[in-house]
Amino acid sequence: MDDILNTGNVPYISEASVSVEIETEDMTLNIGPQHPSTHGVLRLVAKVDGEKISSVEPVLGYMHRGYEKLAEVRTYPQITTLVNRIDWVSGFANEIPFIAATEKLMEIEAPERAKHIRLILTEMARIASHFVFNGAYALEIGALTPIFLAMEDRERILDLIESVTGGRFHPNFNRIGGVKPAAGSGPTTKKNVQDLPAGFYQETRDAMEKVLEAVERMEDLVGGNEVFKARTKGVGIISKELAEEYGVSGPILRASGVKFDLRTQTDFLPYDKFEYEIPVGENGDCYDRWYVRLLEMRESAKIILQAIDSMPSGPLQTKVPKVIKVPKGRSYVRTENPKGEMGYYVISEGGLGPYRLKIRTPSFSNISILPVLLEGQLLPDLIAIMGSLDFVLGDVDR
Amino acid sequence: MNPSSNAEFIESISTRFSNVENEFDTLKIKVKPEEWVETAKILKEEFQLTYFSWLSAIDWENEVSVGDPPKESVSPHFEIVFCLSESIEGNIVLVSTEIEKEDAMIPSLIEVFAGSNWHEREAYEMFGIEFNNHPNLTKMYLPDDYEGNPMLKSFELISREVKPWPGEVDVEGMPENGSKEGN
Repeated sequence: MDDILNTGNVPYISEASVSVEIETEDMTLNIGPQHPSTHGVLRLVAKVDGEKISSVEPVLGYMHRGYEKLAEVRTYPQITTLVNRIDWVSGFANEIPFIAATEKLMEIEAPERAKHIRLILTEMARIASHFVFNGAYALEIGALTPIFLAMEDRERILDLIESVTGGRFHPNFNRIGGVKPAAGSGPTTKKNVQDLPAGFYQETRDAMEKVLEAVERMEDLVGGNEVFKARTKGVGIISKELAEEYGVSGPILRASGVKFDLRTQTDFLPYDKFEYEIPVGENGDCYDRWYVRLLEMRESAKIILQAIDSMPSGPLQTKVPKVIKVPKGRSYVRTENPKGEMGYYVISEGGLGPYRLKIRTPSFSNISILPVLLEGQLLPDLIAIMGSLDFVLGDVDR
Repeated sequence: MNPSSNAEFIESISTRFSNVENEFDTLKIKVKPEEWVETAKILKEEFQLTYFSWLSAIDWENEVSVGDPPKESVSPHFEIVFCLSESIEGNIVLVSTEIEKEDAMIPSLIEVFAGSNWHEREAYEMFGIEFNNHPNLTKMYLPDDYEGNPMLKSFELISREVKPWPGEVDVEGMPENGSKEGN
């Protein structure tokens, strides 16, 4: 080295120092649990060789609340409160599969109007969740503006959810056999049954127009950004086979080119009445995952507009016993949560509460792919890849 | 769900496997523990059920310290269930097996579905079931020095023991056969 440095030839030195090979040991880098890009409290223990990741081991459990155990000591109506809190970005969408599984066991069906309200609120939860993703993902890539716009747009949706359910994040609005009478529409008597708040349809129409505008703007602002494209295109490619083997679902699976959307298979929400498209990606990279979610927001807004126009009238609740006892049996119901396949396996022994409730959450399976996906990637890409998976730690740990 | 393809699917599964139950359009295949991995292979290769949804266990026990015991007496055992799905049509199948509680052990599915890794770690931690040939059978959520398997029916909820839960009041005062309709 000294000889090289003493030559005094500057370009020569720089060339020489590049060709020097240094033996490096892998360094252990602890990312999280309190790191902004982990969306909560995920901890990653990464072994890095310079900028290159040689292995990653996610450490879970910082948000583990033991809902499966808690569900065993609660009655069916009480469990709805718990399941709201699994994925708090889209609380409403969590309730649907549990309620549907219980209704299936009891062999009852919600009235059409209740089904429509459920569908509208589920799609609103999807839009709200994707807004958070859009803003936060751009922020992680390094763009500050989109998060402010996205949060403002999301607030409009949350206001609508609040006007119906009374809760912004945890609606707790579904009841077995229908939905709760809506908030803010006067006192309930036997004659005056509460329904959707006055002016809800028009407000929803306005809000959906705003969503469609916001999607266009976001497509321009984020998707048209050269830095964003450079950081996401061709990064973190998930193949179709790998995704399926790990149970990766939702927009991530669709970005890898699999047209798998559980909305087309549900019989308890009237999705078959509406026209919508299922956006599918081609490359399975971070950019596709972002783009699929963006397009999904547009489709969700279209579904809501159609549902508002074809809203049936009628009761919100079917008749159910005052004390809800579920007959002995098992049912597994899954729905398309904003993040993927959300399912509940209810095992009833005929009591007031389930004997066992298995909760299948999308984020758990979605991030189980991380050790495979991150191996050999560059450290800066870790943030881009993790962000594109759009997970919520409550949904991972339960 | 597409009715015709679903019916065909049910038909083909029922002819291929001997012990098939159909409850609410969800097929459940009961197998012996020895056939556990083989069944997963057959379903993946012959029936194109390539999407691994989840794996979990159920603790069947007559004396429980949480919740209600089963209505009819059961022989204490673990039931392990995994769920596979087609990725396009969306037909699903549950595969279930029963194992003894003493030295609970079952082969791991990792060689067929790598995605079962975390699900098996969770079942190991929550129920104490050993998955043979699992490369990294460690705790998933709980601290390393945590003792006990929380999802066992014998595992008490300490907070519930110390203080009865106020939510219970809602249920207690109700008539036994609540045939009166709700609102």
